[in-house]
Amino acid sequence: MHIKERIVPKGMILDVVGDLTYANRSVFKAAVEKAKQAGCRHLIVNLEQVRFVDSAGLGLLVLVSQSFKLQQAQVSMLKPQSYVREILSLANIPKMIPIYESEEDVLTERAA
Amino acid sequence: MNLDSIPPIAMDPAAPTLPDTFTATILLVEDELVTRTSMAARLKRLGHRVLEAGNGRTGLDLARREKPDLIIVDWVMPEMDGPTFCEALRRDPVLKSSQLLLMTSHDQPAQIAEGLARGADDFLSKAASKQEIAARVLAGLRTSRLVRELETTGDKLESSILLLQRKQAETEADLQTAATFVQSLLPLQGSPIQGIALAWEYQPSLTLGGDLFGVMAIDADHLGLYILDASGHGVAAALRSASLMTFLRVENMLQLLGSYDPEKVLFEANRRFPLSADGEYFTLWVGQLHLPTRSLSYASAGHPGALLSSAESPSRWLTRASSPLGFDPIARFDSDRVSLKPADRLFLLSDGIYEVPSPGGELWGRRHFQDVIDAGRNTSLAATISSCFSEARRWQQARQFPDDAAVVGLELIGRAEGESRG
Repeated sequence: MHIKERIVPKGMILDVVGDLTYANRSVFKAAVEKAKQAGCRHLIVNLEQVRFVDSAGLGLLVLVSQSFKLQQAQVSMLKPQSYVREILSLANIPKMIPIYESEEDVLTERAA
Repeated sequence: MNLDSIPPIAMDPAAPTLPDTFTATILLVEDELVTRTSMAARLKRLGHRVLEAGNGRTGLDLARREKPDLIIVDWVMPEMDGPTFCEALRRDPVLKSSQLLLMTSHDQPAQIAEGLARGADDFLSKAASKQEIAARVLAGLRTSRLVRELETTGDKLESSILLLQRKQAETEADLQTAATFVQSLLPLQGSPIQGIALAWEYQPSLTLGGDLFGVMAIDADHLGLYILDASGHGVAAALRSASLMTFLRVENMLQLLGSYDPEKVLFEANRRFPLSADGEYFTLWVGQLHLPTRSLSYASAGHPGALLSSAESPSRWLTRASSPLGFDPIARFDSDRVSLKPADRLFLLSDGIYEVPSPGGELWGRRHFQDVIDAGRNTSLAATISSCFSEARRWQQARQFPDDAAVVGLELIGRAEGESRG
């Protein structure tokens, strides 16, 4: 897995490529920590290139969401593939971290 | 300047130096008494301890006993000549890395090549000057010291590896003991209660697994069921699972909640097992089967669920979207109810059985798992479960699963409606 960061108005997008799993957790944690250190107020996790999220990956997403919430910051997810979407839905994750289908949507709707 | 008065150190400041107090042991093997005495005197004046041997055999014995830092051996000797001495030394497992200077009165290239090929490290001409002798001896001693340091490091490395291997074996044995203990907590296959058949297969990804399950009689009329999945892998996940498993014991639930109501069990478990600081948590599916009515109530906390396989209709998943334990401290876990019929099969499973990738990275998935369950209606419960594992293994083209994989099957003993035995 590798992650590229992109700065967008009022936030940062993490373009995640690969599987978000137990084996890759440190890469994801490091990217999130970097975003936090940079003072990111809205973290957008782009899952378009993620084929699989395991239970450890789900836990990380929730942990990140909780920690951003504590700082009055927010986390969103972008364009998960169908299987990943199914896994996320089964665990009610979209109730905690909303899913958006485009960058425009996430930036306009969450800025409102 | 009299070189004999110079200690055998630091002749070249750039080269590795030997300590001031260093006194090397040099074995001199030479049959001619005059030459040997003269060379020995020179070496002693350089500050070294000199052992003398008048022939090759005595030289080898001395070398084995004293393990000198450097050996100087004459080429021409009766019985065992210098090159033969070199060969014998190189064959000796203890002495094979000794530094050898072959002394000769000839310095023909062919002779030098032969000497090197037969085991010498360097040459010393009998006509060499005092300076040359001192320099070659010093060079030989430097190499000898480096070789010995290397050997010592190698020995230390080898013993460290052995120590690590021993520790690893101990850890593996401990893990195996723990795994055996955890396995002993799993339900016995067969018939946990009258009218129910139980079979299961479990393949932890490591020695200790984090997916655990239970099938236990609550009272004469009720059967409790659960399957839990700890996020992550390894010992920590397994210990957390064992702790939740202890919590889910029937006696504990009856004492705490007065029943094994799936909603209440999940609510209480959610309260007691919060998301850890490292993002670790559980998913859990809990069911309670009322045996007289065959009514199954169940609820899930983020678990992929159970699969109900019936003779009359295609199999269907018994789950609904819900938060895993600890994600939301005030979450509610609504239960659902389904009526089972004789010969119905209920499969509790961990996602590790179907989240297996093919070599191309494509997941086997729930649909394929369901297909195997449906195709197994006419085979025994155990054989159907076994097929799930063999098909998943065939898909991933590997025996070991990347995550813990468990499939627990229950069958309501009895004939399906409309089914006759011929």
